[in-house]
Amino acid sequence: MSDTQASSAETNQAESDDQTHFGFKQVDKNQKASMVADVFHSVAAKYDVMNDLMSMGIHRIWKRFTIDCSGVRAGHKVLDLAGGTGDLAAKFSRIVGESGKVVLADINNAMLTVGRDKLRDMGIVNNIDYVQANAEALPFPDNTFDLITIAFGLRNVTDKDKALASMYRVLKPGGRLLVLEFSKPESEMLSKVYDLYSFHLLPKMGKLVANDSESYQYLAESIRMHPDQETLKGMMDAVGFEQTTYHNLTGGIVALHRGFKF
Amino acid sequence: MPAAQLVSASIERIINHLLKLDSDSKAALAKLKGKRLTVKLREFPWPLTFVFSDKVDVLVNESFDNQSQKEQANISLQDTASANQDCRIELSFSALQTIQDSSQITGLIQRNELKLDGDLSVAQGFGDLIKNIDIDWEEQLSKYTGDVIAHSVFNAGKQAARKINKHTKALLTILSEGAIEEKNIAAHKLLVEDFCSDVNQLRSATERLEARLTLLEKQRLKTT
Repeated sequence: MSDTQASSAETNQAESDDQTHFGFKQVDKNQKASMVADVFHSVAAKYDVMNDLMSMGIHRIWKRFTIDCSGVRAGHKVLDLAGGTGDLAAKFSRIVGESGKVVLADINNAMLTVGRDKLRDMGIVNNIDYVQANAEALPFPDNTFDLITIAFGLRNVTDKDKALASMYRVLKPGGRLLVLEFSKPESEMLSKVYDLYSFHLLPKMGKLVANDSESYQYLAESIRMHPDQETLKGMMDAVGFEQTTYHNLTGGIVALHRGFKF
Repeated sequence: MPAAQLVSASIERIINHLLKLDSDSKAALAKLKGKRLTVKLREFPWPLTFVFSDKVDVLVNESFDNQSQKEQANISLQDTASANQDCRIELSFSALQTIQDSSQITGLIQRNELKLDGDLSVAQGFGDLIKNIDIDWEEQLSKYTGDVIAHSVFNAGKQAARKINKHTKALLTILSEGAIEEKNIAAHKLLVEDFCSDVNQLRSATERLEARLTLLEKQRLKTT
């Protein structure tokens, strides 16, 4: 059995029946959303600082790459799912202009509030809406958006297949989905260094800066439990996305998946 | 790490920081609001798209995988930039200065030094925006140090610059006189001018002689 198949099988096994993973733990599917919500309630205030610290600022470059691959133009409607503190939404808002629209959606009210305050402070008010929404059941009509992005959010979703199907439904024909997410490092050496960093250093940094080591322990575990590049590509294909491809960033620590709806 | 994004982020940061320091640039930026300009410098591997709002966002016309990156490098400007640009230009770094002068543009296009599609005034407006950034550095410093210190620092700086200029001129004079008068390794300006004048006279005399010889040669050929 190949690594990809093994990984896929593990993921399927982990998400069988009424159980799903929460980091390395197995929990009831109906509990995961509230447990993830607790994590993000806890980290919301320090989210941007911790992102900069943990990635040494590289997350900004990954997000820039996502925006550059979006093909978004003036007048487009963009859904920034799990938009957190609005890093992507701020730039999309300026690019789509007054004739376009950006919807910043997040399941977590604390993250949404931080994002809304931040964007308002930046003077971004005219073409942006804020929606508290579950990615598995998006509250939008079919064929609404030209672009959907979900950056570092999909791994926290309980039923990823359902979420991808929901995104496919609200995407316009010709529109594209971009999934920016932690993935599997390409080299064995990088993988070991990355494990060392994320399981030993990351929780300590979380404790020191945000006084919350458990949330950052969950972050490291949830990254390992997230489907690898090929598995996620297969999941996107399965719900109907076409021309699905991915691009590894920083040696595969992060991957950007892209799929179109035709 | 994607190098293109690192470069575009740096360019964007520098432009927006400079614009922020010059409050007068707001009006010029407002004229470009909602416009998009794609610039492909021939010496630069990626076309850059500038999106104007109350800030300038710099995007890289990114391709997703290596294959399409190769394709993008080979195809023309019309194909690389998305169809929704207000202006697309492709030019070399050396032509950047010339493009500011409208009378030179036809020449640049004819010499294939500039490919242009769309409204050139967007590119010229962006050029003017950058060129006309005028930052009062003393004012900027005073925000951190107070007016008195900032004024003193800049006054001292100006005096130092004047002194350095003066000393540089004096040093050049000393070196020049030393080379001409004492070491005799360079000629005096008047001697150089005399020499040039003599060379010109010699050139004229030679040309006259050449013309006379040509005439005599023609006459000899006629008589024989």
